[in-house]
Amino acid sequence: MVVSFQNVSRFYNDWPALERINLQLEQGEFLVISGPSGAGKTTLFRHIWMGDLPSSGTVEVAGYSSDRLSRKELPLLRRKLGIVFQDFRLLPERTVYDNVALPLQVAGTSPKAVRRRVFSLLAEMELNHRRGSYPHELSGGEQQRVAIARAMVAHPVILLADEPTGNLDPEVSRKVIELLMEINRSGTAVVLATHDPRQVPAGVARFMYLDRGHLVNPSSWDGYEQL
Amino acid sequence: MNIRGKLATFLITLLMVSLSFMVFDIFLVVSWNLGTVLRNEQENVGIEIFLKDTVSETDAVNLADLVSEMEGVRSVYYVSPQEAEAIFRADMPEQADLLALLGPQFHLPASIQVTLHPEYRTSERVGGVARTVSGMDGVDDVIYGKEYLPGLTRAVDILEKLVILAGLVLAVSLSLVVANTVRLAIAKRALTVQIMSIVGAPGWFVRMPFIGEGLVTGTAGSAGSLLLTGAVSWMLSSSVPHQFLPGDWIALVLVLGAGSGAAGSWIGMRSGVPKPRR
Repeated sequence: MVVSFQNVSRFYNDWPALERINLQLEQGEFLVISGPSGAGKTTLFRHIWMGDLPSSGTVEVAGYSSDRLSRKELPLLRRKLGIVFQDFRLLPERTVYDNVALPLQVAGTSPKAVRRRVFSLLAEMELNHRRGSYPHELSGGEQQRVAIARAMVAHPVILLADEPTGNLDPEVSRKVIELLMEINRSGTAVVLATHDPRQVPAGVARFMYLDRGHLVNPSSWDGYEQL
Repeated sequence: MNIRGKLATFLITLLMVSLSFMVFDIFLVVSWNLGTVLRNEQENVGIEIFLKDTVSETDAVNLADLVSEMEGVRSVYYVSPQEAEAIFRADMPEQADLLALLGPQFHLPASIQVTLHPEYRTSERVGGVARTVSGMDGVDDVIYGKEYLPGLTRAVDILEKLVILAGLVLAVSLSLVVANTVRLAIAKRALTVQIMSIVGAPGWFVRMPFIGEGLVTGTAGSAGSLLLTGAVSWMLSSSVPHQFLPGDWIALVLVLGAGSGAAGSWIGMRSGVPKPRR
């Protein structure tokens, strides 16, 4: 088990962003979490990378528990995760190479090993020719590929992708989803939050639906038919 | 933020730090010069013991030896009547004829000039030495600047306290201004801090570059303020004679600049590094 939510609730003031969530993710699994805007998808993600801690219940990720997480352990947990955001969140003053190298550099990897890994990954992602470019010089699809490369560079246990196709056109979105599926096939657990679960072919992933902070059965979810 | 934007932010921050520190530098220059004037005045604080005409030169020298052994006395110098007359003629040549008018029997009194150790140059302590001396045989009169010395002592005392107090207030407020300026510059790079934190950078790894940047900004800003103040000082030097700051005061300004810059970054980073919210 790489992620486990045990009866997790999260309140902002009195407003329930998540309520009594129970969720398990196995190693190498592909989980798609869908639901409308404001359903709590991003909040659920924040609990996985422990940017937020639950108001009640326990989150366990890659062996770290929200009940006992110390300040020193937080960076160690995050090094086991790769995170991709809808708005890419690349560092604008760094080149593609430096953005991708960042997780290895903060973990104290030797420059030689960083260079080897980053070059190999950029080649794999067909971004080698762009390694000296700055994010503003890239297309949206290229920026998202760089963000995925940065998320994958340190061999994470779990890849979290929060609406990664939200800012991309359908063709580029399809390619990004294919890339996520390929990453999953290599053994990395992937959690994808999306408005549109139809992007992922049936049978490839497990689907879950969030509605107003509750995980609901897909068939009982009112919005399912409208997707 | 692009490179040009970053450079502009850095230069604006640097200018703000420099101008803030310039206020402090000017205060220091004024204090230093005022202090120098008062210190020079205090240097001249001493006692002049006028001797009775009946005192022989041998007795006068013995008296001078006695005074030289008193607590607080640094040196004594016996001025004979002849030397006194020579000094009078040299100092006031236009009044020299007066001596001729007073006749050959008149002579200026012999005296002993006493200088004191610096800590004895206060009104109270000089007065104490003067009172003891005035009771000695052969002493006609003792002069020690009774009128101005209490005022001078008070002025030096007040200036010292004022420099320390105002210096502290200025240093604290200046540090806060610099700290806030650096903090705002850092807030513009919140994304960098957030991303570094999300990819697993430990707190020190995120903070160090920013604290280094604050250190450089503070030092460069205070150095810039010294250059600006130096330029103003140079321009005014012909109309208002004064001295610029001594080396150790310049070092103090630079250390304060570096410290406040680093503190600003540290304060900024305390609120900048996201922590898990419960």
